Amino acid sequence: MTVYEIQHWLLTTLGSVEIVKPIMTSKWGWPICESLHFIGLSLLIGTIGMFDMRLLGIAKRIPISALHRLIPWGIGGYILNIITGSMFLVTAPDQYLYNSAFHLKMLFMAVAGLNVLTFYSAVFRKVNVLGAGADAPLAAKWIGGASLFLWTGVIIFGRLLTFYRPFACGKGGATGFLATCL
Amino acid sequence: MDHFLLWLESTALSIWMRESINVFAFPMILAYHTIGMGFVAGLSSAVDLRILGVARRVPLLELKRFLPATWAAFWLNAASGVLLLIAYPTKALTNPVFYLKLTCIGFAVAILRSIAKSIFQNPNLDLGEIPARGKWLAGASLFCWAGAIFAGRLLAYTYTRLTQ
Repeated sequence: MTVYEIQHWLLTTLGSVEIVKPIMTSKWGWPICESLHFIGLSLLIGTIGMFDMRLLGIAKRIPISALHRLIPWGIGGYILNIITGSMFLVTAPDQYLYNSAFHLKMLFMAVAGLNVLTFYSAVFRKVNVLGAGADAPLAAKWIGGASLFLWTGVIIFGRLLTFYRPFACGKGGATGFLATCL
Repeated sequence: MDHFLLWLESTALSIWMRESINVFAFPMILAYHTIGMGFVAGLSSAVDLRILGVARRVPLLELKRFLPATWAAFWLNAASGVLLLIAYPTKALTNPVFYLKLTCIGFAVAILRSIAKSIFQNPNLDLGEIPARGKWLAGASLFCWAGAIFAGRLLAYTYTRLTQ
């Protein structure tokens, strides 16, 4: 299969999901899902970003295992965003599948996922036993730094989606290439 | 008001923000605004969760080490927010939802300052139960940040005039 065929298959498959369309095409369905998507983003970057900063050496008197108790809230934000993100995707698959900002966002999400797997398989057991005041090992610092970089990248490319839409959107007619896509 | 908005929209900076096809004009400034939102609302909410009883073994006093990053994110958003406002002043200033957003942020920031002054300065707090006032502040903070994000996101859907 060529990339074009894969994209076309995804377009028809995702586009055939009908259950969320009545919600998403209602007056406030899409805007409310966007708001929830941004709340999920803040929850993820706030808790997981705080944990990453601890790995990097900020607030060393907090035991890493104690701060790890905040991670389920970050995972909650992630799940909220997978749900709302999927709702956008199946409602307007053409706006995403042919959008280079979306491709980069998915790439950054995939690498961020691999980074999480690396953290739990390679360093979690070592850092979880560290007490108050202990410095995280260098490998954990790299993973924490990579996490901050990758999630920030996900936010940037997510926000740029609007400006790389392959088709017109929203209220048209105003001047400037941005005006119709705010 | 209309004269002021018309003047602001005719400034070089406003026109550049609106019409430049440079990705570092409007699009990236909006992206910075979203990054700042994630860190200021997110880090502040993480502190609120701790006050409300999540991750009890985290020493409250030490959470103040995250305040500089939280304030840096706040000032990033104040700066990027002003630029976004200069780009489309009529769009924001003629929309009541924009003032609701500013009110939510005002309360959230006041609460953050209050938490920084009271909770982070009290070495006895880690030994006992957090006073009810602290829990109320933390709950109100979560509510205000969620409100600010909701109102901010809805600005794209509730404006009546884009430009003069």
